[in-house]
Parts: sequence; structure tokens; C-alpha cells
Amino acid sequence: MTQLNFISFQSILSYNGSAMVAMKGERCVSIATDKRFGIQAQTVSMDFPKVFEMGPHLYLGLPGLATDIGTVYEKLRFRKNLFELRENRRMSPQIFSAMVSNMLYEKRFGPFFVEPIVAGLDPYTCVPYVCNMDLIGCRNEPEDFVTGGSASAQLFGMCESLWEPNMGPDDLFETTSQALINAFDRDAISGWGAIVHIIEKDKVTTRELKTRMD
Amino acid sequence: MDYVNDWMNAAESTGTSIMAAEFADGVIIGADSRTTTGAYIANRVTDKLTKVTDHIYCCRSGSAADTQAIADVVSYHLNFHAMELGEQPLVETGAAVFRELCYNYRDSLMAGILVAGWDRKKGGQVYSIPIGGMCVRQAVSIGGSGSSYVYGYVDANYKTGMSKEECVNFVINTLSLAMARDGSSGGVVRIGVITSEGVERRVVLGTELPKFYEG
Amino acid sequence: MATVLAPPVSESGFSFENCKRNAELIKKGFPAPKATKTGTTIVGIIYRDGVILGADTRATEDTTVSDKNCMKIHYLAPNMYCCGAGTAADTEKTNAMIASQLELHRLNTNRIVPVATANQMLKQYLFRYQGYIGAALILGGVDNTGPHIYSIYPHGSTDKLPYTTMGSGSLAAMAVFESRWHKDLSEEEGKQLVRDAIAAGIFNDLGSGSNVDLCIIRKGSVDFLRTYDEANKKGVRQASYRYPKGTTAILTTKTKNIVVEELSVRQIEAMDVSS
Repeated sequence: MTQLNFISFQSILSYNGSAMVAMKGERCVSIATDKRFGIQAQTVSMDFPKVFEMGPHLYLGLPGLATDIGTVYEKLRFRKNLFELRENRRMSPQIFSAMVSNMLYEKRFGPFFVEPIVAGLDPYTCVPYVCNMDLIGCRNEPEDFVTGGSASAQLFGMCESLWEPNMGPDDLFETTSQALINAFDRDAISGWGAIVHIIEKDKVTTRELKTRMD
Repeated sequence: MDYVNDWMNAAESTGTSIMAAEFADGVIIGADSRTTTGAYIANRVTDKLTKVTDHIYCCRSGSAADTQAIADVVSYHLNFHAMELGEQPLVETGAAVFRELCYNYRDSLMAGILVAGWDRKKGGQVYSIPIGGMCVRQAVSIGGSGSSYVYGYVDANYKTGMSKEECVNFVINTLSLAMARDGSSGGVVRIGVITSEGVERRVVLGTELPKFYEG
Repeated sequence: MATVLAPPVSESGFSFENCKRNAELIKKGFPAPKATKTGTTIVGIIYRDGVILGADTRATEDTTVSDKNCMKIHYLAPNMYCCGAGTAADTEKTNAMIASQLELHRLNTNRIVPVATANQMLKQYLFRYQGYIGAALILGGVDNTGPHIYSIYPHGSTDKLPYTTMGSGSLAAMAVFESRWHKDLSEEEGKQLVRDAIAAGIFNDLGSGSNVDLCIIRKGSVDFLRTYDEANKKGVRQASYRYPKGTTAILTTKTKNIVVEELSVRQIEAMDVSS
């Protein structure tokens, strides 16, 4: 039903609103998110971190309920650091996402309300990797892109038409940014600025985008 | 929009016709072969006559998951018991183990079970354990959703001390009548003859079932 | 002793610490989100020399197709595979858990694990959770006693059959089997029949879609045919919608250089998906 004044939301996952996307390119990956933190229709803050650096080549996105974003991030940071101290080697994105998945499935009957996205390059081979999962840890590891958050449906549409294989870091940036911006412009509870990370073998470029602020 | 049919939430259940009857040398057990999830027939060749020990079988009705789990547990207990005892357990003992489980977990189980078998002490025996976990010995017993259509037929036609073939025919006739009237029962008729010799299994195909008045 | 800096290692098994909070949220009118389901068509048949398992590759989250090419045929043991329908995470994790137990069992006994053992482990696990683990499975394999197909329901009941289907597309697929299955199918006939059954699900059931995966298990050998048939070919995009560089307005740019301390060159082989 179209409403002119109030936003009705479907689930607790869209309580705070978010839009997130990660794409594979040629020897690079991108991960991008909006910056809004709201409580339903009311925007509270416009610089809320939802994408976290877990390692030099490893980024984690947590779209979903803001209170769980903090909890899940801290739990994962602890487990990942413990792994790297014990094993004295870097965690590959595949292993990291397996760890996230197992942690979420442990709470199968009382889940955290986050649908994580993992993006990164293998620390040794630099092979690109993107992955998303549902709130109980069912992994999806496609060859192209993953989306998440309250604008995920819009992002699916944008990415399906914009993404193409073997994009270099510059093209990957434009494609990811435009997919994200145009998707969250059609979502009332995400947007208000965006951050795009382009992860390459020797550097990570983080850009803040100029977007609509309504 | 719920565009996916509700196959996930419907538990598999054996809306059933089952039966067991004592005859001169032992017992005859019988069952239809239909398993349903809602209105869909998930299995049309089910074997609801489940072996517990060499001389004790059970006929299962109710939730497929519950009755399979119970039969597995009882089978484990009785075979363990047989090893300790050094001889075949009594049918009475088998029925008691079934009853114990069905009664203790009566709030979470949906199972109506007929236990039938042969032992040296009392020969062929039939025990009925309906939902709730009561246990009673009967000369002849019927169970499952199809049974309500054929109580009269059983009362009119059962005789003690029948011969084997006489009793097998009686069981086939009874189950055919039940399957004809009950939508949750159907398929083939499976028969088991349990005597001192062990068990003899038979199948009567749907096309070979006896015909009665069909309107 | 557990401290803030060294929290206790969490116990194995499910954790219910969020349940009370989540129940309160539901009470306040926030419906629980839906997990990924595989509204699926999965099938299994016995043919002359073994078994063939088949599956579609669509995963859905409510009405959105969340994965267009997911794997629903899971590895259990060298001689056993298992198709999963229902809650995607449940099928995945249940199979992974049983697979690890089967491998330990195989190493302990030094024998090919019987398919009946896997069936018993799966049904006992699912029965313990009384249907709350929403995994509907088709287990297929070949052991020393021959080929076996089991269908396993979320509540823990199982059926042993020569041919079976499961999932929302099971009715469409079963229609194909009921008209064409017989017990002396050759491998080629078997593959064609399973493909047709999955295709019936893909085209007639909204919850199933994309491609056909097959898995053929014979005595001593397995062929895992990922994307055996691409039932829905996507059209080739005619134009490129690539944005010219500089389209996006940037506020700030930060570059973080990564110093590569150690460089090792390794030949990367393509992933082997044949078995």
C-alpha cells in the first residue's frame, strides 16, 4: 500500500535501514554501504559505521539491526584475532565467512538480526571473494555481486544490469557507487551518504560519496 | 504472498488401516501402504509392518516420525534384552516396552500401535496400544483411521482358532473394505504371518484385492 | 577462570541466549525475518548400476530469488550424497555435521559406511529437534548391499524407495517418474529422466528455477555434474551500461597502502567440480 506519511516496515531487519553491496572485479573487490542510522522513519545519525576492516584485504559488512551490528562485530573481531594469534597466519575470506556462518547458525533458534556480507582478497593468492548470508548463516558465494539491507531488492535490480565481468578498480568503483546510490534513492530508510572501499592487492581506496541527503 | 505449497509444515503421517488377528498357530498382521503429507501421497508402497525381533512385529499408525522412532528404540531394547536373557523375548514384554514409551511421552507422541507376535509361553498374541499409552491384549484388533469403517465386519466375521489361510483371507477382506471407504488408506495390502517358524510376508497388489459392493 | 579478557570458550550446540529478547520483539509487533528457503525440486532414483540424484539451483528469501545458482546436492561420504530442501541453512549445516560424523565412523571402522547408517543418523538428529530443523532430504548412495535412496522428512520420518521427489516441486517431478520410471534404466536413460523431472519442477513450480545439477553414484565411482543442463539461458546483454569515469561525485578519498612483506607465487588451478 502506498503511504504518503509513514513508513511501514516488514521486519526487524529494516528497523534501522541500510543498503550494502559488494562486487567482484579483475583482481579487486569493492564493498559499499550507506551511512544512515535511523529508528524507523526518524534519521538519527549520518555516519554510522556498518562496514568494518577485519584485515588488510578483508572487509565485513553488517546490514541489519544496529544493536546487533555492534555485538556481532565485536564477537567476530575477537574470534578472528584469536584464530590469527593461535595459528600465526592470516584468515582468508573463505575461512572468515565460514566462521561467521557457523557463529550465526549456533543461534539458529534465537538469531542476531544481521545479514552479513564478506568481501576481500585471499591474503596469499589475491583471488577476489564476495559472499553474503542470511541471518542464520546460509552462505551464498556468487561469481558476481552480493547485496544486503533494506534496499537489497533495489540493489539486485541495479547490479543485475550494471555489473559486468573483469572490471578494473576504477570501473568497479563507478559501477558499485552508481548501483548503490540509485538503489538507495528508491529506499526511504537508507542513504544519507555512502562509503565505497575498493580493495586491491597493494592498496585499499576508501571514498566518501556525495549523495542526496533526504 | 505464499506461493509455495505447504509441504514443509505438514508432517508425514500414516492415516492408516492396520490389523492383527490371532489364529490357530500364531498371528496374522496386515496393513495398507499409504503415507500422506496433507492430501499428497508421499509414499504409496509403505511398509507399516515393522520388525522388532524375529518373532515380534508392530503395525504403525499415526505420525510416521514418532512411530518409526518408537519402533527403533523398542527394537534396540528388546534385542539387548534378548542378548542378556539368551532367548527370544515374550510378546508381552515387547508390548510392555512399547506401552512404557507411549505412556511416558503421551503428550508429545502421536502413535497408535498394534504389537503382535509369537512366543513359546502364550503362542500368538495381539496387544493394542492406542494414543495415550494404554495396553490391552485382544484376540483381534484393528487400528488407524480406516478401522472405524470395519468394526462391524470384524465383529461379524472373526472366529477363534481359524486356519492360516482362512485368517489371511479375513484380514485381506477387512483391510480392503477399510481402504475402499477411507481416503487416507490405500495402495496394496501387506500381510505378515507370524508362527513358531518365524514370519512369512505377503503382498496383495491393488489390482488383486477382493471386490465388494461399489455402488 | 573466565574474565573479560579471556571469556570462556562457548559450549558446543545451539545457543538460546537471544531467544527471550527476540520473543519480546515479536510481542512488540516486529515480525521475525524469514530465513532463506530452498523452495525446491530435488529427486533421486535407482537405476541399473547405482543411483542418480538431481536438484534445481534456486534459493529464495520470501519472493526474492537470493541465489540463482546454489548447490543443493551435498557431499556426505565418498559413496553418499544428499539433496536438501527446506530452510537452506538447516540443510547445509545438518549435512555438514552428519558428513563429519560419517567420516569419523569410516575411519574408525575402516569400511565403506552403509547408507542405512547415514539415514539413521539423519533421522535421529531431525527427530530430536521435532521438526524445528526444517531440513527435507533425499539421501542416495551405493554401499556393499547395493544402491539405496531414502527420503527424510523434517520431523524425522524416512521412506526407502526406488525413486522419490521432495520440495515444493515434488508433485511435478513425481508425475514424470510415475509415468516413466522402471527398474532397468540405463545410465543415459536415468540421466534424461532425472533431468526431465527437475525441469518439470523448474518450469511448473515457482519456488524452483535456474539449472539442473546431477550426481551419479555407482559402485566405486561418482560423477558430480554441476550445471548438467542450463534450463534457463540468460540473453546476452546488447549494450554496456558502464558509467564513464568521474560520474560519481566524491567528497573524500583515502588510500591505505598495503605493504606486501612476503611474496609467494603459486599456480592457481581452476576448481575441480567434476566429482
